[in-house]
Amino acid sequence: MNRIRRFFKYGNIGYLFVLPAVVYMLLLVGYPIISNFILSFQDVTVMTLNRPLKAFVGFRNYRLLFGDGVLQPSIVNTFIFTVCCIVLQFVIGFALALFFNRDFTFAKPIRGMLMVPWMIPMTVTALMFKFMFSSNVGIVNQFLQVCGLIGKPIEWLLQPRLAMLSLIIANTWIGIPFNMILISTGLTTIPCELKEAASIDGASSGQSFFKITLPMLKPVIGSVLILGFIYTFKVFDLVFVMTNGGPVNSTQLLSTYSYKLSFSLFKYSQGAATANILFLILFVVSILYLKFVYDDKETN
Amino acid sequence: MPDKKASENLKNTGYCIAALLAFAFLMFPLYWMVVTSLKNEIEIFKVPPTLIPHVLNSTSYSAQLKHGDFNMFRSFKNSFVISSCAMLISLVLALPASYGIARFRFKGKRFFILSFLVTQMLPVSVLLTPMFILFKNVHLLNNQFSAILSDATIGIPFAVLILIGYFASIPKELEDASRMDGCNRFSAFLLVFLPIASPGVIVCMVFSFLYGWGDLAYGMTFLQDQTMRPITAGIFNFMGQYGTKWSYLMAFAVVTIIPVVIIFVFMQKYIISGLTSGAVKG
Repeated sequence: MNRIRRFFKYGNIGYLFVLPAVVYMLLLVGYPIISNFILSFQDVTVMTLNRPLKAFVGFRNYRLLFGDGVLQPSIVNTFIFTVCCIVLQFVIGFALALFFNRDFTFAKPIRGMLMVPWMIPMTVTALMFKFMFSSNVGIVNQFLQVCGLIGKPIEWLLQPRLAMLSLIIANTWIGIPFNMILISTGLTTIPCELKEAASIDGASSGQSFFKITLPMLKPVIGSVLILGFIYTFKVFDLVFVMTNGGPVNSTQLLSTYSYKLSFSLFKYSQGAATANILFLILFVVSILYLKFVYDDKETN
Repeated sequence: MPDKKASENLKNTGYCIAALLAFAFLMFPLYWMVVTSLKNEIEIFKVPPTLIPHVLNSTSYSAQLKHGDFNMFRSFKNSFVISSCAMLISLVLALPASYGIARFRFKGKRFFILSFLVTQMLPVSVLLTPMFILFKNVHLLNNQFSAILSDATIGIPFAVLILIGYFASIPKELEDASRMDGCNRFSAFLLVFLPIASPGVIVCMVFSFLYGWGDLAYGMTFLQDQTMRPITAGIFNFMGQYGTKWSYLMAFAVVTIIPVVIIFVFMQKYIISGLTSGAVKG
């Protein structure tokens, strides 16, 4: 008893505070991650789910997946989707951040209101864009027709490449506020004196952007890009509602494919294996992010 | 110099107009959603489209109230219960955890922080299948607790990481002073720390609620019974049933984002602060 009391006398009492949250997370996140890993090496389908003993099958699920002709395209799709979204949302978000960083009457209120797209449930965003891109009533087609740019309606969500494009546009719409706000905050940390001094020394605005703004923003840009990668790479709701991976798997991502395997085809082990591949890629990127953030803190 | 002032004014006006244009372009989808929910089905098909409904039509909303063959207000309530409970769990667990990490020195502290950071980045997909089997084994499928418990796993790491910053910024002397005035650790936490950290607490409440509100995957997977499902899953079902009845679908979407808009209007400053300090989109 005394020993316990002594243990908690100093800083160790901190453990008591952390314990409830850690136990909760271990039960509902830690345990599932491990069981997902184990599951991916077993053969669990809807038939074997209730059996107490599940057969280990080694790497069979992974072998089957790599041979099924959907997994590899899904990996490629996930990367295409992620990279396109990041580039678009970063460029637009950056431009908007620079614009709203100027001093004018509406700057702050409008920048604030532009946050809304980021907050609304992705299911709603997906439904909204599904409507706008629909071939017979969608505003996109109506607009293009009124402008005379197209003769007959385009089937945005029914053609592989266009479906992917529509998803990228919808997801970029969600990601712009996030990029804009983070870069805006980064911009405010750059002291005005630096730019004033540069302009006195005769630097053009382009020069001061590339020689002062960009280098000073490097840490912010780094974390915006890596975080953007992480969030986009695992997007599920948006794609699930808008295209559900179709047409013919052309917009299938790792997240939606994993869901399909587990909850439409009831091949739980293969679903788990697909999720594991997604997890592995994200885990590596997350570690890179943490290294980036901590290295940055140490050098400063 | 009146000339300079005039040109400043002109510049200001120019920027404001440009800002309004950008705003109108980016917010158009939301506007279009609201407008469509107020049109009748014939007007929706009109080319060129009407930017403002000619006849205001509220049937899409009232039909839901009258013969609710699909009760969107029930799923609204479900979402509200699920998100609020998930928010409560997140707060109750994250407050002590972040306080402990911020105020005490103990081994493995850094490891805890890193683990919370990494869990924030986890894809839902990794947890879905094993959680499904877990909840099935403990008979929580088709019980709203499954959605509540799983939604809280998104809120907790976020709340812990945000609150650590708030608690760490409170000077040690304040704690010493409160101890001298007769507080023990726990009353000091409740009476001194919590009030100071209240902006952080609000940020956490807002975000953990929004995570629950926005969740589709958990609610849809663990709750099969339509009467229990959250509103996001409700919309998804509704899409399957009503396919192209766009005014109904858009009305449903508008109802779903009402709480979000209310939260935004009253909590904007907390949302920006949460976002800049590392919020995730679950």
